[in-house]
Amino acid sequence: MSLSRFLIKRSLQGLFVIWGVITVVFGLRFISPGDPANVLLPPDVDPEVRAQVIAELGLNEPLYVQYWDFVSGIPVGDLGLSLVTRTPVATRVITKLPATLELAIAATIVAVIIAIPLGVVSATRRHQPADYSATVFSLVGISTPNFWLGVMLILVLAVQLNLFPTSQRPIGIDGIVLLLVGGNLSAAFDGFTTWVWHITLPAITLGTYFTALITRLTRSGMLDQLGQTYVRASRAKGLPETLVRYKHALRNTLIPVITVIGLQLGTLIGGAVITEAVFAWPGLGTLIINSINARDWPVLQGSLIVVAVGFVLVNILVDALYAYVNPQVAYD
Amino acid sequence: MTDNNSHIGRRTYLKLAGGAAASAALAGCAGGGGEETTTTPTPEETSEPFDVTITQGQMPSGLDPQDHRETPTDIVVLHAYEGVLTRDAVGAVQQALSTNYERIEGENAVRFDIREGVTFHNGDELTPEDVAYSINRVVDENVGFASPQSDQLAGVAGAEVIEGERAVKVNNTSLNPIVFSEFATYLDVMQQSWVEENDKAFISQNMNGTGPFQLDSYTEDEEVVLTRYEDYWQDPAAVDTLTFRAASEASTRVNQLLQGETDVIVNVPPQEVERVNNSEGARVAAAPSTRIIYNAMRYDLEPFDSVEFRQAMNYAIDLESIVQNVLGGFGAATSQPTLPEFVGHNADLDPYPYDPDQAEQLVEDSGYAGAEIELHTPVGRYLKDLEIAQAVAGYIDELPNVTATVRQRDFGSLVDELLAGSIEARPPWFLIGWGEATFDGGLVMQALLASDGTLTTWQNEEFDSLLEQAGNQSGDERDATLQEANALAHEECPWIFLNQQFSVYGVNDSIAWEARSDERIDVYDMSQK
Repeated sequence: MSLSRFLIKRSLQGLFVIWGVITVVFGLRFISPGDPANVLLPPDVDPEVRAQVIAELGLNEPLYVQYWDFVSGIPVGDLGLSLVTRTPVATRVITKLPATLELAIAATIVAVIIAIPLGVVSATRRHQPADYSATVFSLVGISTPNFWLGVMLILVLAVQLNLFPTSQRPIGIDGIVLLLVGGNLSAAFDGFTTWVWHITLPAITLGTYFTALITRLTRSGMLDQLGQTYVRASRAKGLPETLVRYKHALRNTLIPVITVIGLQLGTLIGGAVITEAVFAWPGLGTLIINSINARDWPVLQGSLIVVAVGFVLVNILVDALYAYVNPQVAYD
Repeated sequence: MTDNNSHIGRRTYLKLAGGAAASAALAGCAGGGGEETTTTPTPEETSEPFDVTITQGQMPSGLDPQDHRETPTDIVVLHAYEGVLTRDAVGAVQQALSTNYERIEGENAVRFDIREGVTFHNGDELTPEDVAYSINRVVDENVGFASPQSDQLAGVAGAEVIEGERAVKVNNTSLNPIVFSEFATYLDVMQQSWVEENDKAFISQNMNGTGPFQLDSYTEDEEVVLTRYEDYWQDPAAVDTLTFRAASEASTRVNQLLQGETDVIVNVPPQEVERVNNSEGARVAAAPSTRIIYNAMRYDLEPFDSVEFRQAMNYAIDLESIVQNVLGGFGAATSQPTLPEFVGHNADLDPYPYDPDQAEQLVEDSGYAGAEIELHTPVGRYLKDLEIAQAVAGYIDELPNVTATVRQRDFGSLVDELLAGSIEARPPWFLIGWGEATFDGGLVMQALLASDGTLTTWQNEEFDSLLEQAGNQSGDERDATLQEANALAHEECPWIFLNQQFSVYGVNDSIAWEARSDERIDVYDMSQK
């Protein structure tokens, strides 16, 4: 199968998945308890006022009408209006996306910087203290809950030692870019340090599980490669050990690792909910939590659709890349 | 205050970027010659600015003061918009945009004389037409839109300007004894021409009021920045810049306060109070709120149809201990449906004492010994709601002849049942809270205990007739009738009387400010220590 046919096929499958997500999310709204109007309005509101509000929000329409209204808007980017703020959902979701992407990418960078060297060291010094420490580190990392780690980092590094801020995102990449375009280099640099200063703790919190995962993966992949015939052949040829390890073995190890990194990026976008709540990070996760609390279904649906689309896109991309990098894999 | 960290604020960087772009353009025009342009803004004042940041649990749902029903939104918009009347920190009615308010003899109407020399933030003067329009925008669907606040001005039919005078006449559908109470709590005055010239989306993203602060910038879901309005009709506020942000996690808010990233936070949980008070630079400020927490018992179901049984439930719990140990002292025991600050409160009534023997005896007398009951409670909606419910059920379960358990409920689904319209749809026994910003006991009893009340679980003819009587009275006479109704409720125990909730804030030590009882944060009252 050619690459283009593969992409078309996977895109169609992706659309089907997204439609499924939309339908499930829409259905959940009707089986979950809590009428949005009752959460929007305090219990002492006059029944007539309540009915007016319900009619204004379109919540009294039959199910299929609401479903059709919702689905038919999606292709043109109309995700409806928020029940709470009455502003377009699409705008609200899109404006939150950069913050979440920033966080997910920063978490990935943290993970890659720590995990790959750690995995390599651990594989090349198998059964030595370095290997055991790396194993313990990944075990702790995998079993530490996100919210606990976040709260602990804030308590120790922010409140006690005063090294980092506890929360907020005073400047984003968009702000730094704006400063660069304006030609204000020193302000852009200040902006960048501010950004790093604010994103470090959330990125570590979100990236820890991921770091542990990649460490394990790199270690086992590396061990596997080091036992292969081509490695022994290279050594027999008299190639230096560093070249054998880092050029040949590591390169082959990284193929599956890259796939996992790609796939995890999708998970991070959706999984940032708790981390964002702990650090009051103004991204998609915070939006999701707030819209659940307020029973703001259109916003919740919109956010989940964006997460689903992101996930599907990343998946297709990773599959394509994987096959491209590793010619042994065919597009099918 | 909040800018003690070396980070760049959003507004600062926008300013910087703008400055940079401008200087680049200038440099281009000048052909690259000449001196370097400085882009760093110089501080306008020599003294340290007094900036305050407030972190609530959620952001406002918009900035239209007449199109919302939430306290967090109220707290933000009330710094830019004002009413004809207002309240002081303990709830007493005060003049605001009106200089005089009185009932018009012989008519079901009241009169407000409108203050002179008040300007909106766009510079236009306040007129009586603006006030009348604002009232009509809330109560009359044909003026503007269906405001979700129309029932907050219940009994108000409409308003008109009194010809030739700087005054507004408000027509009521009946005597409306609580009309001044309503106007002291609700109704924000907007400018008629500004509202009519702009669409709803614009109005919900911008502000043009008469209050001490004007809008600087609004980033939906992130922050609202207000600055002092220099032409305010009273002395300008002490605070230069006021920023509102939100963090839904209580521990995040506390950490922000302790780090100096924010100056005032709402809803400090009791277990965090010590951490705040022991910190350098922050303290806890608390005030009794207008919210009452109670356990309703359905009068039409066994075993709650027995007055002895309902009384027994009140004797069975150690309310004082719940207030001290569960709420950490941030609460007050209640004896009646009306709180002490409210109109109609009966000061002669004491909370039921803790008397398990009496409770056991009353259960025997009721004939329902061996009853098994289940308390429905929301989780996380009110201060320590689940813990209060567990304590109540625990005490009752200790009675040898009653078994009590707690059932945790999602707030949304519990409210669905409470609002279903008929008493049969409500759970037999539930914990709920009720806030009443008008400080009126009559409204609370009407909603929660009258036969046709919104959330009622009780029917009592004598009680209904007392409320009806109060509806046609005003002043002391009405107060006395409501006190009688409270005494009856105390005796008949339609509820297990629990606590008055306290509002608990964390405040930066360098700010002088007292918590209010109506859950509002009034930054105009703040000063630097």
